[in-house]
Amino acid sequence: MLHIGNEKVSLCSGVNRRSFLQVGAAGMAGLTLPTLIKLEAAGAVDDSKAKIKNCITLFLVGSPGHLDTWDMKPEAPDDIRGAFKPIDTNVPGIQICEHFPRMARMMDKVALIRSLHHNTGASHENGQRWMMTGHDFSADNMQPYIGSVISRMFGGRSNLPASVILPDKIGNTGTSTPHGQDPAWLGSGHQPFFLGGDPSRGDFKVADLQPPAGQTEFRINSRRRVLAELDQLQRRTESSTTIQRDTAYSRAFNLLTSPETKRAFDLTEETEKLRDRYGRNTFGQSCLMARRMIEHGSRFVTVNHFDTVFNIACWDMHADGGGLNNTHKDYENLLCPQFDQAFTALVEDLEGRGLLQETVIAVLSEFGRTPKLNARGGRDHYPSAWTNFFCGGNIKGGQAIGSTDKIGAAPHDYPILPPRILASIYHGMGIDLETTMMPGPGGRPIRFVEAEPIPELF
Amino acid sequence: MEQVLEGTPKAEITLDGRRVTRGDVSPDWGSKLQWQIRRDGKEIATAPARMAMTFEYADTAAGMYEIVLQLFKYVNYTKNAQGEYTDSKFVDVSNVVSYTT
Repeated sequence: MLHIGNEKVSLCSGVNRRSFLQVGAAGMAGLTLPTLIKLEAAGAVDDSKAKIKNCITLFLVGSPGHLDTWDMKPEAPDDIRGAFKPIDTNVPGIQICEHFPRMARMMDKVALIRSLHHNTGASHENGQRWMMTGHDFSADNMQPYIGSVISRMFGGRSNLPASVILPDKIGNTGTSTPHGQDPAWLGSGHQPFFLGGDPSRGDFKVADLQPPAGQTEFRINSRRRVLAELDQLQRRTESSTTIQRDTAYSRAFNLLTSPETKRAFDLTEETEKLRDRYGRNTFGQSCLMARRMIEHGSRFVTVNHFDTVFNIACWDMHADGGGLNNTHKDYENLLCPQFDQAFTALVEDLEGRGLLQETVIAVLSEFGRTPKLNARGGRDHYPSAWTNFFCGGNIKGGQAIGSTDKIGAAPHDYPILPPRILASIYHGMGIDLETTMMPGPGGRPIRFVEAEPIPELF
Repeated sequence: MEQVLEGTPKAEITLDGRRVTRGDVSPDWGSKLQWQIRRDGKEIATAPARMAMTFEYADTAAGMYEIVLQLFKYVNYTKNAQGEYTDSKFVDVSNVVSYTT
C-alpha cells in the first residue's frame, strides 16, 4: 500500500520512466517489479512543486464554426466568410468575431490554437474522445477522461471530488459510442462527479447531496460505522476493486455529511451582481460553480456547454430545418453572447481572487465546421481544421499558434493534433511527461498521452 | 439540457437630450442586449447595448423617437420557413424614454 497525494492506491502510480527502465537491472539484483515501483512511485508527482494546481475546461458541445468565431476569413467569398464581421482585439494583429466584444478586450490573456485537426471521423463522439482523453477508441478499449487521470495522480484536496463535470454528462450527440468522460481502468474511485442539476434554477439542489427520504445524518453515520467494520473483515481478501469501492463509498459519505461540501455548491453565497456578471443561464451559473469547486478543493472541472445537440439552440449549426436547425441567428442572439459573458467573467473572477495564476482554462470543442456554407446557410461537421484556446495558469497569452489556409479548410502551418492539447494540460499542471508515467490497465505503467506539449504555450 | 434563463430582467434607462444611459440589467440572462429605436411608433433600428452604458441615435429626421432596452429571450430554437424565430424573441427590459426632433 502506498499513497500518492491523498489517494490510497494498491499498486504503482506516477511511475518514473527512468526508474521503470532500471527494472531489468534491479530484477537481477533481487528486487521484484512491484517492490521497485512502490519505492520509486511515492514522490513521482509532487503537486507542491506544480505552479498550476487546477484546470477548468469549457467544452463547447456541438462545436462552433471556426470561421464564425475565432478564425475569421473576411477576405473569403460570401459563401465562406459567413454573416459576421471580425473586430480588433487588444492584441495587434489578432481579430475575432464581433459577438465576443468582452473577450476581445482580454485577448492578451488568451492563446488561440488555430491549426487543430484530426482525421478519425466527423462524429461528435470522435472529437469528444480526442479532446477528453487524448485518444480515439472504441467501447471495448476505453481510455480514461483527463479529469479521472488528474484525480488518480494528485488525489483530492478536500472532501470535494478531485474531478467534477458540470452541469451534467454528455448525453445523446448522435452515435452510441463513448464520449470520453469515464474513468475507464482507473475505476469508480476516479469517476468524475456529475452535478446532475441546473445551477441556474431557483430550486437547484445537488441530487447526490440529498439523503434519501427518511435517512437522517445519524442513520447515515451509523451505516458508515457498520460498513467500516465490514471493510475490516474484507481487507483480508483485499483487491484493487475493493479499494476502488472503498474510495467511492468514502467520497459519497463525505459528500453527504460535510458542511464544507454543501457550502461549495451553494451559489446563493455569491452576490447578485456577480451572478449577473456570469449570466443567469445554465452555462453561466455552471462556470460560476466551476470557480467555487476549484476554490473549495476540486482540481479538474469540465463545464459541458450543452449535453446534446438535438432540438436545442447549440453550436451544432447545420440549419437543417429540423432537429438540427441552429443558424447564425442562434450564434448572434444567444450562444456567442452567453459564452462571451461567462468566459470573461470566469477569467476576471479567478484573477480577482488570485486563482488565475494557478488555474489553467482550456476552451475545447470536437471539431470545426465546413468552410463553405451549406445550401441552407449552415455549416456541417469539419474535423480538418478548428480553433480552441487556453488562458490562465502559466499560459503565454496574446498569441495565435498555427493558422489555416485562406478559407479555413486546412492547417496552413503548425498542424496540431488533439493529443498535444492534453499533453499541454498535463504539462501545465506540473506533470513531466518525459519522466513520469501513469498506471495503465492492470497497473502497467504507460505514458499519459503519445504527444508532446505545445512549447509556445508556456 | 436546455439553457434555463433565470428570473425577469429589469433595467432603468434615463434620457439627457438625445443621449440615453442605462443601468445594469438584473437578473441578466447573458443573451444579446440591444437598444431598440422607434420613430412615430415604428421600429427603425436596433443597436448593440452590451458594451456601453450610453447611446445616442444619430438620425435626427423629424418625428417622435422612443428608445427601450431589449434582451433576447430564448424559449426554444424553433424557426419558420424563413428562418425567423417563432417563439424566442427580444423583450423589453426597461422603461421607455422618448424625445421629439
